[in-house]
Order: sequence, then structure tokens, then C-alpha cells
Amino acid sequence: MHVAKVEHMPSTNIITHIGLNHYLVLSALLFVIGMAGVLLRRNVIVLLMSLELMLNAVNISFVAFGKYLDKLDGQVLVFFVMTVAAAEAAVGLAIAVSIFKRYKEVDIRFFEHLKG
Amino acid sequence: MGSDAFEITINGIKLVLVFLLMVQAVPVLVWLERRGSGFIQNRFGPNRVGPLGLMQLLADAVKFLTKEEFSPKAATKLLFYAAPVFALIPGTLGFAAIPMSSPLHWGNYVFPIQGYNMGVGIVFILGVSSLAAYTILMAGWGSGNKYALMGALRASAQTISYELALGLSLVGIIMMYGTFNLSEMISAQEGTMVFHAFGNTVSTGWLPNWGIFYQPLAAVLFFSATFAESNRIPFDLAEGEAELVAGFHTEYGGFKMLLFFIGEYGHMMVASGLMATFFFGGYNIPWTTTEQVYQWAMGIAGTADGASALTSLVHFLSYMIKLGAFLWIFIWIRWTLPRFRYDQLMDLGWKTMLPWALANTVISAVVIFAVSYSW
Amino acid sequence: MTADSFIFWMLAAVTLCSGLAVVLVANPIYSALCLAMTMVGVSALFATLGAYFIAGVQMIVYAGAVLVLFVMVLMLFDLKTELGTFSRGKISGLLKIATVGVLAGFLAGVFSMSSELAGKSESAGALAGTEASKTLGGLLFTKYILGFEALGVLLLVIAIGVVGLARSKGGTHAKH
Repeated sequence: MHVAKVEHMPSTNIITHIGLNHYLVLSALLFVIGMAGVLLRRNVIVLLMSLELMLNAVNISFVAFGKYLDKLDGQVLVFFVMTVAAAEAAVGLAIAVSIFKRYKEVDIRFFEHLKG
Repeated sequence: MGSDAFEITINGIKLVLVFLLMVQAVPVLVWLERRGSGFIQNRFGPNRVGPLGLMQLLADAVKFLTKEEFSPKAATKLLFYAAPVFALIPGTLGFAAIPMSSPLHWGNYVFPIQGYNMGVGIVFILGVSSLAAYTILMAGWGSGNKYALMGALRASAQTISYELALGLSLVGIIMMYGTFNLSEMISAQEGTMVFHAFGNTVSTGWLPNWGIFYQPLAAVLFFSATFAESNRIPFDLAEGEAELVAGFHTEYGGFKMLLFFIGEYGHMMVASGLMATFFFGGYNIPWTTTEQVYQWAMGIAGTADGASALTSLVHFLSYMIKLGAFLWIFIWIRWTLPRFRYDQLMDLGWKTMLPWALANTVISAVVIFAVSYSW
Repeated sequence: MTADSFIFWMLAAVTLCSGLAVVLVANPIYSALCLAMTMVGVSALFATLGAYFIAGVQMIVYAGAVLVLFVMVLMLFDLKTELGTFSRGKISGLLKIATVGVLAGFLAGVFSMSSELAGKSESAGALAGTEASKTLGGLLFTKYILGFEALGVLLLVIAIGVVGLARSKGGTHAKH
């Protein structure tokens, strides 16, 4: 009974020895979940939240790479991502509030009325 | 944390003890609050049950436990029941990160007298206490009551607004001590005032080396912002009973109400502990250093272990006195000042405290640079 | 199982479960609360990677401010029931899921092919505690000063823009 292909991994136990790949896989899974949310949900605010999920996933890989390459540049980038994410959330929420005031609903399809 | 079983066990017990300390302080504070309010407003307060009304606490406990358990029909059950439990988290986690006494050296072991010693103590405490907004929002929305929701929205807007001033007022302190670690800050405030300016060493024998003498504005801003964070008068618009019945905990009674109480007192204790740590020398006894206290304890106890234990005990008492003093100020202000109006609250936060905190940051940065620069 | 790996697996489980819940739960308020849980989990993951300061900032900025805003806005809307959780259209839905699957496949391929770093064990741990925070601040104000200043400008623009949006017709402070 073979489990997963492990020839690329060094000969350490995959359960007890946590390495860079673990964090990268976790980050990829979170990113994929977030992307599915963005594509499938209808509520604008949930879309924004899924975006935050994707950004967080990227942050995990930044910090993980930073640690395993012994550099702090990854953490600086996390700072930038966080700031941009906060700004994006503020604008997104403001737009959602104005859409809600007009149509009493926050479905993504009302965003086609944004013009003018 | 620990390296062997003994150390891990002691550290585990310590965490439980810190939690119990926080929870057990609440009845005392409630009693103090009631007697204090009676004293300040020239009325009696609880004085019937037992001497000085001390047994009132037991009566209260019975009352809290035996009240009818109910939830409103419109409530979202999950959030309604989860909110009071979550109310305990920010206070507990924050309080456990504040050092309460000098580390205890026992044989080969060193036990810090605090829940956990963190390199980034301040950032951690600010982080966990910012989670308090969820409790209020969950309670307010979960109750399915418009007054509760209004109170919750007000409270969370207030918490977010004042978090800015709270965080910014601490930047000066962080720059001055050059660390996030609370224990290092406390050891920087030992003894009498000594500082280096323009290559000279300035020292006074009559002032303790406390943060408030270096950052008075930060102390005022921080203390005011913590009032807003813990939703106490004059910032208790979340529960302004004249307008909103009781705000976010309108629908809560009995033990659930008590849990919100404990959360609020936990906030007060974190705020008082941080105030003592940043601006009043933490667990240090004024005008003395840890070394001096240790020498004194050595003269009494004789052995190194005993002296260390005695030093920790004395410092713990000193910390408790400072903590109690600030808690009393919280109670004192609650029964003295009226409540702000909502627009006044927002103006104070955004137009007064935030600019002053920014100015304090900039001026501190310039002064610290100028003083330490080799001209 | 060592303590480190146990903590990692636990945090990974918490993060992934709450992340999935964000996407799958119909009520947006539960979604937001689950996202808050995810953020706390991610913050703890940063701490396991030795980035303590970033972990604290994650708690303050994401869990403490951004998500509280989300929850506040959702409660302001007070959407009792949501009509449709997911977008309509079976075929487009399938296409979207297929896209996500392809992306997941790509990512898996990338990781399995680029495992040069995977064997590298943990660094010496020179970058930990307050020293790391100091180095981080230094980097931010020297090597990345341009980006830092640009972020400041961005935040100013955003603040003005959001105030403008909120004051548009029908806002809470509109003059009738």
C-alpha cells in the first residue's frame, strides 16, 4: 500500500519533521479555498473575505520562505501585503455599503450598475 | 517553555493560578465598586449582609447561579451562548503576559512569575485585547434585539477608534526602552532616575526612574484609551442605559451576565497592569533596584533560594499595590464622571487623542535621536 | 510526535477547517467569524515560524481591525436569510471548480518539482525575538523605504476615497 510519492522528500518522517514544504502546501490549500470562494459565492462581502483568505495564504508562504532562506525580506513583504489588504477591504466595504443602500442586497451582480 | 517534567508542571500550574487570580479578584472588585460608589456618592452601598456587606458577594453568587436560564426567541442560539464565554479570552490572555514579580530562582530552575514571558509582549497584549470587539458584536447580534445591536455597533466602533490612540501612545515608550518585552522595560525602570543626555549622565536621587517622568503625555493618553477599551464610564456608550436599556448585554442574565462582568474586570486589570508596567516601574519597589531587594532578602533568609523567593514575594506585593491603586482609579472615575455623548466620544478619539499621540510619537523620536546622537 | 509537529498539524487543521467554513457556510456572519478564526490560526503559524512581531501585527490588523469592520458591516446590513449562497449556473460552476482544481494541480506540481529547499533544516535561529523586530524595522526604513512611502500615499488616497464614497448620495451623513 503506497501512500504519497515521497522520492523528492529527504528521508525524514513527513509527519514528525515539519519543513518548508508543509507550510507551502498549507498555503496553497488556503489559496485554493479562497479562490473557490471568490469564484463561487455571490455575496460581495464573502467575496472580499475570500480575497483576504488568499492574501493570508500568500503571507504564510512569504514568512515560511523567509525563515528557511534566513532572510527578513519576506516579513517586510508581509507588511506591505497587510497594508494593501486593509486598504482594499476599506474600499470594498465602502462600495458594498453604497450598493446595499441602493438595492438592499449585496449580490455581486448588482455591481454592473456601478457606472456613473 | 520547560525542559523537564518538573518545570513543565510548574509552568502549567502557574497558568491556572494566573487565571484563578484574575477570576478571584472579580468578587473583591465588585464589592469595592459597590462600597466605593456608596462612599463617593454619599450613600450606603451594601451593608446588611455580614460585616461591611462582605457576605453580599456570597449572596450575589447564589443569585447568579440560581437565576432562570433563558434565551430570547429571536436570538441566534450559538452566538448568544458563545459570546459570554469568549468575553473571558482577551482579559485572561492579556493578564497572563504581564510580569507580576521578579523571576524566581529555585535551584537550577528559573520561573518567571507571569503566565508566559514573550519577546513581543506589548504586541501580543494589544493583539488579544483587540479581539474583545468580537465578543460584543456576537452578543449584540446574537441577542436578536435592536437595542443590543445598536449597543454592539457603538461599542465596536469605539473600540476600533480608540485602539489607534492606544497603540500610538505606546510607540514613544517602545522607542525609549528599545524593546517590546515587558520584563526588560521593568528592569529599565529600576532605582532612582538616571539617564544619558548628550554624552553626560544625569541623575536625581529623589525621583524613581519611572516611565511617566519621561512620557507623561503618553501615560495620560494610554490611560484614557484603556477606559474606552474596557467600555467603562465615561466611555460606556455601549450600555448607555438611558438610551439603549443596557446595550449589548440587554438580554443576558444570571451567570452569562457574570461572565461579561468578569471580562470587563479582566480588561481593567490588564489596563492597570500595563499602566503600572509602562509608567510606574512594574513590580519594582520605588527607588530600589531588584539587586538591593535581593541583598536585603539575603540578610533575612540566608540561602539563595529563600532570598529569591522572598524577593519575588515582596515584588509581587508591590505589584499588587500598584495594580490595586489603578483599579481604584477606574472605580473612582466611574462614579465621578458623567457619560460622553456619542459625537463627543468620536471627536475626542479622532480629533484630540490621535493627533496628540502622533505628536508624542514624533517628538519622542526626535528627542531620543538628538539625545543619543554623538554630536 | 514532537511538540513542534503537533502544534503545526493542529494549527493547519484549524486554519484549513475554518477557511473551508468561510467558503461553505451560508450565513455571511458565520463566514466572517470563521475567517477571524483563520486569521488567529495564521497568526499562530507565523509564531511557529519565528515571526513573532508579524504574528502580533496580524492579530491587531487583521483579526482586530479589518475583520471587525467586516462583521460590523454585515451586522449593519442585518441580512436575515441569504437567497442563494453560490452563484447560479451549473456549467459555469463546474468550470469554476475545474479552474480551481487545475490551479491546485499546478501548485502541487510546482512544489513537487522545486523541493531543493525542502531538505534545508531550520536556520540557526539568529533572527528571533526583539533583534528580529529591530532588523525588520531597519529593512523597512532603508532597503524598502520607497515602498514604505508609497504605502503611506496609498493609505492617504484610500482614506480620502472612502470618505468620498461614504458621503455620496444616501449616506448616513447625507444632507436631505
